[in-house]
Amino acid sequence: MCLALPMRITAVDGVLATIASAGLEQRASLMLVPDARVGDYVLVHAGFAISVLDEAEAGETLDLLREIGAFAPDDGDEADDAG
Amino acid sequence: MTEANRGAGASGERILLGHGSGGKLYRDLVKDVFVKAFANPVLERLDDAAALAPHGRIALTTDSHVVQPLVFPGGDIGRLSVAGTVNDLATAAARPLALAAAFIIEEGLLLSDLTDLCASAAATAREAGVPIVTGDTKVVERGAADGLFITTTGVGEIIVAHDLGAEAVRAGDAVILSGSIGDHAVAILAARGEFKFSADVRSDCAPLWGLVEAAVSAARAAGGSAAGAEALHFLRDPTRGGLTTVLAELAEESGLGVEVEEEAIPVSPAVRSVCDLLGYDPLTLANEGKMVMVVALEAADAVVAAVRTTEYGREARRIGFVTAAHPGRVALRTPFGTRRVLDMPVGELLPRIC
Amino acid sequence: MTPADELLRLAADLRAEARPGLTFMEVCGTHTMSIARYGLRELLPAGMRLVSGPGCPVCVTAMADLDRVVELARLPGVTLATFGDLIRVPASRTTLAAERAGGADVRVVYSPRDAVQIAADEPDRQVVFAGIGFETTAPTIAASLLEARARDLTNFSVLSMHKTMPLPLKALLELGETPISGFLLPGHVSVITGTACYEFLARDYGVAGVVAGFEPHDILRALLRLVRQAAPAIEIEYGRAVRPEGNVVAQRLLEQVFEPSDADWRGLGVIPGSGLALRPEYADADAALRFPVRLEPPLEPADCRCGEVLRGVTDPADCALFGVRCTPEDPVGACMVSSEGACAARYRYRGLDD
Repeated sequence: MCLALPMRITAVDGVLATIASAGLEQRASLMLVPDARVGDYVLVHAGFAISVLDEAEAGETLDLLREIGAFAPDDGDEADDAG
Repeated sequence: MTEANRGAGASGERILLGHGSGGKLYRDLVKDVFVKAFANPVLERLDDAAALAPHGRIALTTDSHVVQPLVFPGGDIGRLSVAGTVNDLATAAARPLALAAAFIIEEGLLLSDLTDLCASAAATAREAGVPIVTGDTKVVERGAADGLFITTTGVGEIIVAHDLGAEAVRAGDAVILSGSIGDHAVAILAARGEFKFSADVRSDCAPLWGLVEAAVSAARAAGGSAAGAEALHFLRDPTRGGLTTVLAELAEESGLGVEVEEEAIPVSPAVRSVCDLLGYDPLTLANEGKMVMVVALEAADAVVAAVRTTEYGREARRIGFVTAAHPGRVALRTPFGTRRVLDMPVGELLPRIC
Repeated sequence: MTPADELLRLAADLRAEARPGLTFMEVCGTHTMSIARYGLRELLPAGMRLVSGPGCPVCVTAMADLDRVVELARLPGVTLATFGDLIRVPASRTTLAAERAGGADVRVVYSPRDAVQIAADEPDRQVVFAGIGFETTAPTIAASLLEARARDLTNFSVLSMHKTMPLPLKALLELGETPISGFLLPGHVSVITGTACYEFLARDYGVAGVVAGFEPHDILRALLRLVRQAAPAIEIEYGRAVRPEGNVVAQRLLEQVFEPSDADWRGLGVIPGSGLALRPEYADADAALRFPVRLEPPLEPADCRCGEVLRGVTDPADCALFGVRCTPEDPVGACMVSSEGACAARYRYRGLDD
């Protein structure tokens, strides 16, 4: 019942963090995970980090996600530059 | 300087209701902005109608463009209005011959913004090799239009002898997609700022006549015999409603089934992330520079190769096929070999937390 | 081994090890979605049944609550902020989408913090946040409410329709309508709650439960764990995100802001103590108190069997309205509107039998 995306904390400013995931950047509140640090992977739901992901396992998930989910354009041509 | 205010022009000067009322103010606007930007002999005559001399069968299409914001990463409403109509003509394998553009301007729009948007439209039209030969301008009161609405009508010369469309599609045909999906929708979403995120995505907004012309030529060559270009059966651009809508229409209109491989459909990592975050399905998101092509299987490789030589088709690939199985339905094969049905998206695109 | 290979291997193990006649209930709407999205039913052993439970916050929101949200949206001066999930849900007589079209100020937000920001930016509006969701979401509303207080915003209030998870599972088992061998326990609710709250399932009812993640591998791994348990127990498959003690900070925040209340679950009726109401200290931020509205008696759509579907008693396809009068484009009940609803998920599967 809850969409949550694993994202990496790239910066912290008080209780707000900048979080990133493959070309997406956002701000989320760390109010629910006060021990989270820059570099941690967190699960983000409705603008809040709700859990710090176990590093070893998180890496597994993200590789998995990349393999089954993120099919980047090939031939070195980035879709982002079209137009 | 915000994207909406870029460019030169009398700073601060705005479009007034008077600019739409047909008198000198109007005439000056037409000459100084539209004619100057679109610059071609037919338009410069400023006749109420443009005389053309098309060869053979022609295609006609019209589109209204209402986008907010007016300028976004990868494009703007000017580029969109030209590309959108050129692409609609392209789905009929029609070389764009002439465009007409009607502008409904909201009182208060900065003149510099209008000038920039017309410059963009003009550049896109030049890129597509088509003149904007006539147009219209109305100005409405503040609040009655979202900055600017553009309706573009296009005429094109059809370069194939046969009828393209769902009736031409056969079981066994290959389904080809010209590139990554979801870029335009996500770029707009990011630019609108309602859900505060930034994404490494640009709209794919682009005129695709060159791409389609290459596909037509390749299909014709691969077709070989007296069949000519008949290897090319169906063309449609996945705009609103996305790829899913085009595939669903293909299945419904042809009465055949369609099967596509999820792994074959290119989605950029940023689009994927935004979709995962907000709960969208990239297959239902709008594109403004992509084409779906259904061709006879024998011609598929040649068409893909030809499209890949064009500027906007470098990631073209086969994504699936038409089948006699599950008529009227579209099946998506997941990377795990399982399948699910693709339905037309319903209504408004809404983010979800659940 | 590629992810696809690994998934197929997990499926093979499941087929080899599961005895026939097992029925598992996946409680969480996001699991329903994942199962549909990856076509997992195709991979399950023939004798295994997977039924959907009441873990779709939209689906279990009582009609009276939906009607209250609509009445609040209609109040002059009120800005109704909501997750996108609620926009198309049919209330007794209307939807939020229809109300918005009729002039109500309804705004979709991705985060309750965005609603707080609206209150800050527009001090002349009364921002009411429609609080749906379980333990995953309720802490975010609690945190946002505290943020509004810290920023001295008096124009922000919450209508709490939040519910908590373990009690409906107990209610389902007490009803005894469907023999459930085990539960796929909600992944993200459990991030917050931890697993102690589920121990009673195994201890008092002899029913197993595994907290599962949302990737297809997670779901199959969790099913394998359920199948392999010698005696019913509560386990965590989603170890990378879920800890047995849960998120203690979030739990404390919930206790600070909310207290247990009686909640009306569509399909299950009133379950005492299963709701979250704002504590008296936060009465000033309680939209139900600040804006008392008069409600007409709620209208349940005739022949709608959402309640039975939510209890796992009826398969969506067995509802007479399913796919005929109740479709995603034209939904009758919430189970079809919510993309996580069992009916919506089932609808995507129909017809691909070949």
